[in-house]
Amino acid sequence: MGRTPSYDRDAVLHACAELFRTTGYEGTSLDDIVRATGLHRGSIYSAFGSKRGLFLAVLVRQPAIAPGSEEPLDLLLVALLELAPRDPEVRALCAAALDDGDAGQAASATLLGSRLLARAGLSPRTSATTPTTREDA
Amino acid sequence: MNTVTITETTLIVEPRGLDKLWSFTSKLEIPLGHVRGATVDPGANRESKGIRAPGLGLPTKSAGTFYRDGQRSFWNVSNSDRTIVVELRNERFSRLVLTVADPRQLVDEINTRTTSS
Repeated sequence: MGRTPSYDRDAVLHACAELFRTTGYEGTSLDDIVRATGLHRGSIYSAFGSKRGLFLAVLVRQPAIAPGSEEPLDLLLVALLELAPRDPEVRALCAAALDDGDAGQAASATLLGSRLLARAGLSPRTSATTPTTREDA
Repeated sequence: MNTVTITETTLIVEPRGLDKLWSFTSKLEIPLGHVRGATVDPGANRESKGIRAPGLGLPTKSAGTFYRDGQRSFWNVSNSDRTIVVELRNERFSRLVLTVADPRQLVDEINTRTTSS
């Protein structure tokens, strides 16, 4: 219907992207979203339908994944880990995002793996092809 | 507590036992096309529900029709973490707030059934 949203949709989606990528999908409660956006619970439901609807809105506005693009990579990791196994629509979006990368799915997988390690505080600097001793750790 | 079933075309909500009485509702039938989505939301229990008409409001239990910010919602919740919110379109109620036995599974099922068709 022709209702004008009285909130800054970009700011809301940005705040929620930050929440989802740091605390995960299940780890983010509606209370967290209410606190981070300053919106009423009812307004969030009216605007997005559900927490899933909000997550999808965040996910679809992400730019293509690329080296160094931490936010889209983190959100894609959350989507792959938490939603894709049980949600066909999210799975399809993830597949599209993986294919969308510059060098196709294999390169995307490498990007995701590297980001996963970097996010955990592990630097993926050692080459995967060289067996290394653990003494430098 | 509510029993929620999903048929080919419809989401059916039945308050259990005496909750039928408190909520003045024996059954709600919502076409799946009118369901926008579902969310596991225990925190909804603590929100201000608005004005009650008709129904029951106790600190541990809310059942019936509530009005807030020009929206009408149906509540049947007990003091439990197993609360879900179902957002609707083109229905008498904008939103259903329900305590259910298995929130995660139900929310996934509702979302899968209402988005993939």
